[in-house]
Formats: sequence, structure tokens, C-alpha cells
Amino acid sequence: MLTRNLANYTTGVVRIKISGIFPEKFINLCLNGGIMLWGIKKVGEDIYAYVRLPDFFAIREPAFKSHNKVRIVGVRGLPFTLKRFKQRKMMLAGAVLFFILLEVLTSYIWFIDIDGVKTVSGDRVKDIAASNGLRTGVFKNDVNVKEIESQILLNMPEVAWVGVKVNGTRALIEIVEKTLPRIADKAPADIVAAKDGVITEIIAIAGQAVVKKGDTVSKGDILVRGVNSPPPQSDGQNTVQGAGELIRANGIIKARIWYDSYGESGLVREEYRRTGRKVSAVTVKVGGAEMAFKKVIVPPFARYETEVIHKKLPEWRNSDFTVESTINIYHEVATDLYEISFDEARELAKAKAFQALVSKIPETAQVLVSDFEVLKTSESGLVRVKVSTETIEDIGLTMNITQ
Amino acid sequence: MQRRRRGKLERLARILEIPEDIVLDLPRITMLGNQQLLVENHKGIIEYAPFLVRIKLNQGELVINGEELTLGNLAAEQILVEGTVAQIKYEV
Repeated sequence: MLTRNLANYTTGVVRIKISGIFPEKFINLCLNGGIMLWGIKKVGEDIYAYVRLPDFFAIREPAFKSHNKVRIVGVRGLPFTLKRFKQRKMMLAGAVLFFILLEVLTSYIWFIDIDGVKTVSGDRVKDIAASNGLRTGVFKNDVNVKEIESQILLNMPEVAWVGVKVNGTRALIEIVEKTLPRIADKAPADIVAAKDGVITEIIAIAGQAVVKKGDTVSKGDILVRGVNSPPPQSDGQNTVQGAGELIRANGIIKARIWYDSYGESGLVREEYRRTGRKVSAVTVKVGGAEMAFKKVIVPPFARYETEVIHKKLPEWRNSDFTVESTINIYHEVATDLYEISFDEARELAKAKAFQALVSKIPETAQVLVSDFEVLKTSESGLVRVKVSTETIEDIGLTMNITQ
Repeated sequence: MQRRRRGKLERLARILEIPEDIVLDLPRITMLGNQQLLVENHKGIIEYAPFLVRIKLNQGELVINGEELTLGNLAAEQILVEGTVAQIKYEV
């Protein structure tokens, strides 16, 4: 069935309409004449049928003999398609041009991507690739992959492996970096106190501890000296402590630290509220030029908040040309005053004091005690709170010995 | 006379195991459900309408009643009637 359909498509098929008094006679004549008809359908008085294009010219005789009229109602198949193409030469030319352009444009490299760079500069890889003939717009067949790979390896000793793959119009340079051992700082150093406090724990891993547990130290005091202790040299009677060699001190020093912080709050709380009145200023920036579309005299209100909206065009490939607009919306605000109770004010002051502390205490510190007390003030309508916090934290700070 | 000759041919066909439709010039009718009806070895169409198809055979005619009947694949040796076949009648 499929092969017959295909054969019919290549030879071409004509749909005909047979009208006359006795169409059956026409069909019989066709059958005897070896003309194949199919899809015969009677609609009203007319009979529709398919006939193959080569047979179509032979139906003139049976039509004449049976006194029937035959009309073409539709055609399909390759010969008719080809005929249409012949009439539209430009369409064919366009199709050919399309394929030629596709072929031409895909034989150049348009994109170069680098994958796997962490510490190595990707631009340097690109430069080396470019100087060896791999740059945007180069003909695909002219790219010598092996040569580029070896050149990158030669010029960049920090690269362990490099692979260049050309995939369609995109060249991908894959880089595997060498993992170099980290060079530790070996310069001699002391450990000094970073903060004031009382030592709770001191372990000198390298160097000599100069303070002991329970000592009070202030900021900048040396805790562990970066000097090693050579074995005592004995010359018979006297034991002489040899001068140490300078080393990099290392150790764990923990100390108890106190923090104080103050916070205050009035018994009246201010709250800002937008009144709904607003003005907006619009500025448009094209390239380097700036234009104000709508100007606003600042300040527009006695009290106001500013809302800034930036709108930017998506960045085009490698283009520095910027087009952006800035909208400044000034909202007028009104201040509402609320009276609050003493307890509320105290909580607010406490929260403020804690807020101030948080930035001072490092995250690794272990908080022991946190107290607060309300301070007496001469001003009425003001609550002042003092928060004292005690922590244990590492206060060791490595400081290079300068000679 | 003709009947005797026919009888002899029939016997010969049976002895030689040749299909009788070839020897006796009989139509072979194949039906696929009530949707397709294939008539081989026909002698032409007498009448065609969407509800009625009459096919001339060696002896007499075949009358097919049905709905939306179409003739597909018409060739010198065979007729394919498609559609919904309701009734087939042999008229000698």
C-alpha cells in the first residue's frame, strides 16, 4: 500500500469529476482499457475518482465513447510540485542560498569558551589560543587543535592538562590546573593578645609561652614568643641556656573577655508613615550622556524617603554601550508619636544594646554570662540600659617579628 | 452439452487439484467484516450509487446494498467496495 502511494506520488495523481447520464459505462470502459481508477465516490449525480497522471490522457477515449464529461478538480504529486517550483525560481534560489549560507556560517568559529579555570587567568589562555590561530571568526579547518593544546601547556606551567574541542561553531578549551602545595608562611612571629582579658587556657605548640593561666593581659601583650628553646648546653659546672632561634609561634590561647554596651530609649516612640504624596524624577542615560526627563527640586518635602528604581537594557555581547533609566520616587512621610510604657522602653533599649554588642563579639566566642542593668538617669522620659557580657574566646593574634 | 462439459471440467479440476475458480471462471469474493468487499474476476459495473453497487459476473450479477459505498482500487480484474455493507445478493 505504501509503495503504491509512493509510486502514485511520483507519477502524479489527478482527481476527476465525471458527469453524464451513465457514468458506470465510463468506469467499465476504463476497466477494460486498463486504466486504474480508485477512491470512486458518488456525490449527487457526479462521480469523483482518482486517476494516475499517465492514465489521464488515455481517458479521453472512454469519456467520448460514454458521452460523459470529465473535469479536473484537483491534482497532487511530485510533477505538480516540481511545476510549481519551476514557476517560482526565486524560491528555489532562496532555498539554495539558505543551505549555502548555513554551510558557510557553520564553518567558522564564533564562540570560544574556557572551562575549568580557577586560579589561572582565562584571558591568558585566550591570548595564547588567539596567537596560535584560535580566535572568533577563524575558519574551522584552519584551527590546529594539537598545536594550540601544546602551546598552552608550554606557555602555562600551572596547567596540568588542556583539551581543545571544536563543537559546531563553538570551541571549548578545557583546562585542568595543577594543584600546587600551599606555601605556609614561615616568617618568625609572636602571638600577641588581640583583646584585653584574663587567660583561661594557654597551650604553646611552637614557641615559648610568656603568660600563664589567670594572668590579666591587655591588647598587644606578647603571649607566646616565637623563639625555640635549644637544649641547655653544659660545659661541666654551669648550665648555660643558649640563645633561641627565631621561629613562628603557634598555640591556642583562650581568655575571658568582658564587653559592655549601652542602649537607650525614650518613652515616646517615633513611627514614620507615608502620607501618599510623592513626586518622581526620571533620568535617562544613553552612552555617556545623561538627560533629565523630569526634574524635582530636592528636598521636595520636609521629611521624605527616597525609592530608587534602576532600569537597564540587557547587556549585549561585549558591548559597553549602556542605556539605562533611573527613577527617583520621593515619598512624603509623617511622624507619628506614641507613648510607651517603661517596660517596653527598657526592652527597646536592651535590644539596641545587644545590637551594638553583636558586631563586637566574634561568632566563635562562647558566651558565659549576659547581664543587664537599668541605669539611673537625670533626664526624664529616657531609659538607659547597660548590658555586660562575659565570653571566652581565642585571643591569639599572629604578628610577624620585625627586625 | 455445456452442462456435460462443465461436469467433466469439474472432475478434471478435482483430480489435478487446480483451484476451481480458475478452471470454471468463477468470481472470488472476499469480505473483511462489513467494511470491505473484494470481488475478483468480475465483468464490469452495472450500477453504482452510494447505497447500491451492482457488479456483473460471469453468470448473473452481484447486488450489494449498504451505506456510503465507495469503489476503491478499481482494476480490470478486481473491484474493492468500501463502506458499510448491509446485504449481498446473488442474482442469476
